[in-house]
Amino acid sequence: MDMELIQQIRDKARNLLEEGTVEGIIGYERASDGVTARPFFAYEPPAAERLIFDETCTHNLVKYLLDKKGKKMAVVVKPCDSRAINLLLNEGQIERDKVFIIGVGCPGIVETSWNYKSETLQKRCRSCQLSSPLVYDFLAGGEFERQAEEETYSDIAEAEAESLANRREFWQEQFGRCIRCYACRQVCPGCYCPVCFAEQLEPLWVGIRIAPEENELWQTMRSFHLAGRCVGCNECERVCPVDIPLSLLNRKLEKDVKELFAFQAGLDPEEPPPFATFKKEEKLEFGE
Amino acid sequence: MTENYKPKVIGFLCNWCSYAGADVAGTSRMKYPPNIRIIRVPCSGRVDPLFVLKCFQNGADGVLISGCHPGDCHYTDGNYHARRRFALLRDFLDYLGIDKKRLRVEWVSASEGQRFAEMVSDFTAELTKLGPRSKV
Amino acid sequence: MNLFFSKDDLSRWLDSLLLERTVVAPVRVQELTMFQPISKVGEIAFDYDYTTLSPKGWFLPPSETLFSVQRDDGQVELVPTLVERDAILFGLHPCDARGIALMDKPFLQEPGDALYRDRRSRTALIGLACRQVRPECFCTSMGSAPDDPSDVDILLTEVEDGYIVQVVTEKGKALLPQGLVEYKGEVPTPPKLQVVPVKEVISTIKELFNDPYWEQLADRCLHCNICAYVCPTCYCFDMRDYSDKGKVERVRSWESCQSSGFSLTAGGYDPRTTKGERLRQRFYHKFLYFPEQFQDVACVGCGRCVRDCPVNIDIREVISDLKQLMEAKSGS
Repeated sequence: MDMELIQQIRDKARNLLEEGTVEGIIGYERASDGVTARPFFAYEPPAAERLIFDETCTHNLVKYLLDKKGKKMAVVVKPCDSRAINLLLNEGQIERDKVFIIGVGCPGIVETSWNYKSETLQKRCRSCQLSSPLVYDFLAGGEFERQAEEETYSDIAEAEAESLANRREFWQEQFGRCIRCYACRQVCPGCYCPVCFAEQLEPLWVGIRIAPEENELWQTMRSFHLAGRCVGCNECERVCPVDIPLSLLNRKLEKDVKELFAFQAGLDPEEPPPFATFKKEEKLEFGE
Repeated sequence: MTENYKPKVIGFLCNWCSYAGADVAGTSRMKYPPNIRIIRVPCSGRVDPLFVLKCFQNGADGVLISGCHPGDCHYTDGNYHARRRFALLRDFLDYLGIDKKRLRVEWVSASEGQRFAEMVSDFTAELTKLGPRSKV
Repeated sequence: MNLFFSKDDLSRWLDSLLLERTVVAPVRVQELTMFQPISKVGEIAFDYDYTTLSPKGWFLPPSETLFSVQRDDGQVELVPTLVERDAILFGLHPCDARGIALMDKPFLQEPGDALYRDRRSRTALIGLACRQVRPECFCTSMGSAPDDPSDVDILLTEVEDGYIVQVVTEKGKALLPQGLVEYKGEVPTPPKLQVVPVKEVISTIKELFNDPYWEQLADRCLHCNICAYVCPTCYCFDMRDYSDKGKVERVRSWESCQSSGFSLTAGGYDPRTTKGERLRQRFYHKFLYFPEQFQDVACVGCGRCVRDCPVNIDIREVISDLKQLMEAKSGS
């Protein structure tokens, strides 16, 4: 752990609480396994001492801002999380002056599970082109540089290269395992509809039946609702209890949106989202 | 493939152009396969991707979305939004193993009855060749 | 008297059971292990450590049609879902068996859930004792143990070249083949587990109902359904009727008290609107309401929720915290 970085976060947090600038800090603390991290909410200055930041801090804390609307909160954000902030600013879900952003430069997060911390960087981190958060009020640890692999979407290209029949079989199998716990939706900063389409009674899109067909509708539409909005934090895939490779859905859409509309979510809070706009001259082929 | 397979096609036609075009085909007695069940919508931009997925889930072998030619939308820009939406959805469904040929997006104006009839015939023939959706 | 199965004999016996019965056992599915019906003994992951989902899904599936009502030519017919075959649930650890025994309490209480009861009476439980435990296990604090035979029909314990066979019930005895030799070797000592101070908490949890602890803990809760779905003893469900082309199906699916809207009533009243109220419900059901009704705590210490909670809401830590809160309250 980089103790200097952590001390900066703690000092800033304590300061914000002491001066009453914010009502609470959303950060990370050590989890009960003593190995990984978990989200932590500090409301009193002494609690700031529990804050940490290291390579196990995988959670996207920006989601929690949506639970605290109306309150001024500080939140610790990594570069990918800052894209979520931009997304929510763009969509009018948070107000810039209601959030104090403690940004952190991120060397990458490792794969973790209960009581286990690996040496391997998460897939999303390996080709992440960001080193520092895109938006912040305070940058803990100062400017940060990291080398990233080029983003080639090789995992998507590999999936695309399979035959149609193989792809069908693969996804039937994956969706067959879904138990509709909705953890993917609950952890996602982009999923905040007061009534999710999956819970609508009229019209009834999905219903309560947990079966491959319904699951497929759920998974496909959730990803599609995030097309051009998903910021690639990949928390959905991490939290899935039955290991559905959700990144293969979200990254496919991210790649296509980039190719078709030259757009990536969360980079600029002012840029209009791809499905709220269009170009008259664009030629979108519906051929083979 | 079963011998008696007749593709089930659901067509979302925009009220102002495509539905009128289909109507011209009908009044002019132009023949096209009866496999298509038409749902009239105010604009191709009204078509929610959820409709398309639900059609496939409920047994449709093909889905057609037809609207005004880009630039001629009765609501000015609805079809531009539809164009973006379904360009993405088509490729996404193909990625998931639903042949992209099963989702057709066409621009048919109110006078293009002949073209509508030919297009539906072509789509039905293609779907017959592809086979029923559940067997990919 | 303990009996003995060599590994080959066990396989042969399971093969013979497969002829007439459905055998549900732990199976490797990609990186996970899940309880699933098998077609060959070779599919069984005998040395598994845990399954992602508990075997409760065999008796209360994630989703099922309870019955359908069909109308044909004016005739209305009710078609219930029937249990087709006898079954064996093989390889469950004592914690999971205890989970089933706990679920029996609400589901078999008169008049009883018909489908659950049928499945339950026609399924024999063959348990597998745990030779190793994981850091998140705490079954001994919850009334079970790695070698507890209480809730199975037969308990197997792996030893060097086979399995010790402990016959627990007449149902189990009737299943075993003739000619099993007596096991005269050493019975392995079960591994030791951490102690979680559950007893102290159960007697005092009522007084912490209005404590701000719950809203604070719930701050990080995502209100997904993971903890309830992986839990061997959670059993809340939703039931809806769906009609299509003249056929109505009554569908029952898993649901959990953690989802917002779970307790929303017709008319719009919801007694649990805040995150803290919903999270508190989970612990109170397990440690207060279920014991009040059925004299048993609805937790078996399997550790699944500890392992799978995306934000580390750790039931053992919660119990410890509650104990500390009570001690602070009573000034001790």
